[in-house]
Amino acid sequence: MNIIEIKNLSFFYRVLNNNHGSLKELFRDFLRGKLSIENYMAISNISFTVKKGQTVAIIGKNGAGKSTLLKILARVMQPTSGSIFINGSIAPMIELGAGFNTELTGRENILFYSSLIGRDINEVKPRIPKIADWAGVTDHLDYQLRTYSTGMVARLAFSVATDQVPNLLLIDEILSVGDEEFAIKSKNRMKQIHESGCTMILVSHDLDAVNEMADEVIWLDKGTIKMIGSSSEVISAYKASGN
Amino acid sequence: MKNHKFSIYTITGFNKNNLQLLRLLIQQALTLRYKRSVFGIGWTLLNPMLTSFILWIVFSFLFAGKLQTGQQFAPYLMAGVLLNTFFQMGLLQSANSVSGNRNILTKVAVPPKIFAFAAALASFANFLIGLIPLTIIVYISGQGLELTFPIVFIIGLLLALFVAGIGLTLSILFIRFEDTTNVVNALLLMLSALTPIFYPISILSKPVKFIVTLNPLTSFLDLFRWSFSNNAIATWKDFAYISIISIGTFVFGSFFFKKHWSKTIAML
Repeated sequence: MNIIEIKNLSFFYRVLNNNHGSLKELFRDFLRGKLSIENYMAISNISFTVKKGQTVAIIGKNGAGKSTLLKILARVMQPTSGSIFINGSIAPMIELGAGFNTELTGRENILFYSSLIGRDINEVKPRIPKIADWAGVTDHLDYQLRTYSTGMVARLAFSVATDQVPNLLLIDEILSVGDEEFAIKSKNRMKQIHESGCTMILVSHDLDAVNEMADEVIWLDKGTIKMIGSSSEVISAYKASGN
Repeated sequence: MKNHKFSIYTITGFNKNNLQLLRLLIQQALTLRYKRSVFGIGWTLLNPMLTSFILWIVFSFLFAGKLQTGQQFAPYLMAGVLLNTFFQMGLLQSANSVSGNRNILTKVAVPPKIFAFAAALASFANFLIGLIPLTIIVYISGQGLELTFPIVFIIGLLLALFVAGIGLTLSILFIRFEDTTNVVNALLLMLSALTPIFYPISILSKPVKFIVTLNPLTSFLDLFRWSFSNNAIATWKDFAYISIISIGTFVFGSFFFKKHWSKTIAML
């Protein structure tokens, strides 16, 4: 069963030729007749499918369109053209703790973050002790997040994000958080999630991690798919191209 | 599961999760403002009283005698301060809420409108808390609460819609063009000067009076003062005017936001 089907997907940024940060500049250039619109193509004509339970990694240089693609998959941005079909619930793990507020307590942040990624907070409430316990912050649950160490925040974010297994998990460069102990702990949890049949899309520059986790790799270059295939194949080709 | 056609979900276009998020955001805004400050909620009660007190010292000898008989200057002034704070603070927070939450909005698929709504509603909640010290002032100055008092909630909700409508529009402009912030600040200053916060309308010259009565905030304020403690004159015309303006602004704001959001998010 395909959980993601993408056909001829393109994404354009429409940019004015000069960078207008203000109304004044826009007005000035408009008067001088210097205004024109250019299309910047972030992704052009991409098609691929992902089967249920697969782990797919997206690699490529900076600016190749990886993050844009992930944002389109997360439904944050609408594609300019082409079709996208996703079957099931999506949980983004793009920048862990993006919704955390340092002035709120751990408990309040758990609820808010859960609600942000689309969970029913009435279901989350009874799970708070479990989430906090996994992250090792049980004693600090009612303190403000700014009193937490960086590692504690990362652990808490990871714990909330992986508390319920979605159909599709989107991951952007988050596998390298915290100390060694936590790295092992989180890797184990990722494995568990993977084994439970969750589909994962990950974007990473860490080729070793990609090799270890992914079944399939998509190599993006300048907004198009340069290569798609098994991870060892694509990674060796990617390395050979001088990246 | 839902058999009834008109639920809160179909009207607002939000699902259950979105409404939970909205509630959390409003709670957050209030918690951050009160719970964690030194004076706590006491400050909210004290702040409008202090502001009004200073304005009262300065302006009472000028304007107190110019009000109609039976009307009191202290509650008149404080009602003005409260409503104007509701409008200005709600507007700025609502307009900045979308760009302020850019790190969430570019990563998680939540309707961005929620943030603008939450800011407007948090400002409304703040206003409701401010009614407590206003009640005290009303009784100190020898007036009493009127039976029309519950209308204040309807007025507040309409003002929240008005604020959210402008906030949604501005949130797009603030992201696209940085200098709109300066323009808006200047316009807000002008608008508050054209709102009878501390002066009675009767002292104005005819052309200025005309402009001031066109200002929807004047109608909001008259209705608020009238319904709360019968401290101004308001008619059904004021009510019709603010209803049309609020709903119109809100519909326009939602439409404008929907139309431009998909391109604006690429600029965040």
